[in-house]
Amino acid sequence: MSINEKEILDKDEEFKPLIVAFCCNWCSYAGADLAGTSRLNYPANVKIVRVPCSCRVNLNFVLRAFQNGADGVVIAGCHPGDCHYSTGNYYTRRRFSLITNLTEYLGIEKERLKVDWISAAEANKFATVMNGILEDVYKLGPNKKMRDERW
Amino acid sequence: MVNITEKIIEISKKSLLNKEVDAILGWKKGDLWWDSYPVEVSELEEVDSLIWDMFCVNNLSKFLMKERTTNRKIGVFLKGCDAMAFNQLLKDNRVKRSNITIYGIPCDGMIDSEKVKKAVKNKRVLSVSEKDGECLIKTKDSEVSIEKNEIKFDKCLTCVFPNPVVYDELLCEKIEITNKKEDRFVGVKELEAMTPNQRYEFWKSEFSRCIRCNACRDICPACNCVKCIFDNENSDILGKAKNESEDSFFHLVRAYHVAGRCVDCGECGRVCPEGIPLELLNRKIINDLNGLYGEFDAGSDSTTDAPLVSFNLEDKDSFTEKGGR
Repeated sequence: MSINEKEILDKDEEFKPLIVAFCCNWCSYAGADLAGTSRLNYPANVKIVRVPCSCRVNLNFVLRAFQNGADGVVIAGCHPGDCHYSTGNYYTRRRFSLITNLTEYLGIEKERLKVDWISAAEANKFATVMNGILEDVYKLGPNKKMRDERW
Repeated sequence: MVNITEKIIEISKKSLLNKEVDAILGWKKGDLWWDSYPVEVSELEEVDSLIWDMFCVNNLSKFLMKERTTNRKIGVFLKGCDAMAFNQLLKDNRVKRSNITIYGIPCDGMIDSEKVKKAVKNKRVLSVSEKDGECLIKTKDSEVSIEKNEIKFDKCLTCVFPNPVVYDELLCEKIEITNKKEDRFVGVKELEAMTPNQRYEFWKSEFSRCIRCNACRDICPACNCVKCIFDNENSDILGKAKNESEDSFFHLVRAYHVAGRCVDCGECGRVCPEGIPLELLNRKIINDLNGLYGEFDAGSDSTTDAPLVSFNLEDKDSFTEKGGR
């Protein structure tokens, strides 16, 4: 193996975290949009899935992301009180208080599942949250827990 | 014990004669000493076969689900945990209260046949009888006296609702509650003290024994969907593969689907043929809900809203730095 080939291989083996972000259509997705148009840097490892409301996200979504290769998952919605559907994120708040505890109880590190409130005007917060989770996940390394080995 | 059996027969006869009920749900003795199985009795002659002993652990309330469409009047015998389950079914609109007559039986714990077998070193047991908290196990050539607490089901040792919370008629006097509610969460606290990797190894080894028989779901009074997502082949929820990833997925989703509705009857852990401590998952959720959104005992009454279908504007959360404040 020539030195060049080895370098390329090493480069490929470098850990590139995959973050899946579930963003609510009305706040966080618009926040991501604003982060883009404001030319704020947020990592390209973040794959955004647009959902109508943060309460659309359930445990299946999160676990399926971890199964199919995500190293970290973010759920972002409007601030409590600002929900487009009036009450959606109040339910999100209760559900995800349980779900974050439950996945941690299973053994998935707390840093890998992040829930936060990001409004359409908070482009900076969007970039900070995404950079933050990327940093945390990078330190933890690739996620092997719950990974479906067949994929 | 004997007089409860007599009372069961007496009440069943009376109710069937008066046409108060069309059928009675109770227990019958099978061929073996540990076998007390659920039966439905509608003929007067059959009533004499009904029994009550320390092995009537099966919950009869879930059988009432199929009566939702029949409009028959049913009489049912419910223990403390069964009555909690009944309340939950009532809240979920799975039973019609007006069609059901509940005969409550305060219960001081059921006996685990596996523990009995262990206590007599797997010798052939002829009978088990109880007197004042002591159990006498008779085998072919010996008699062993043992404290009842030592051979009770694990779920009965931490029981906090021995008396039925809902009934039309009570068969005997209520039992004094001695267990504390916090004691249920000892196992959860032990797990929480571990590191994430230790916890994952623990669950991995537990879940790896899962044979996906769905017994935990079938017995659960909170798992009362007409069609379960795990049975729906088109739902794309769960594959049939038996691997670590899918097992964890199944168990987390099962526990989460009964969040806020789990009455902590402990049946899931009891029926698991592989002995997976499923109650640890349910109790984690119950403990979290109690801590975050106030003490709540699902099934203790049928009117209050469950924590996950309601909210407060001032709720706390567990994921932001300020805890939602």
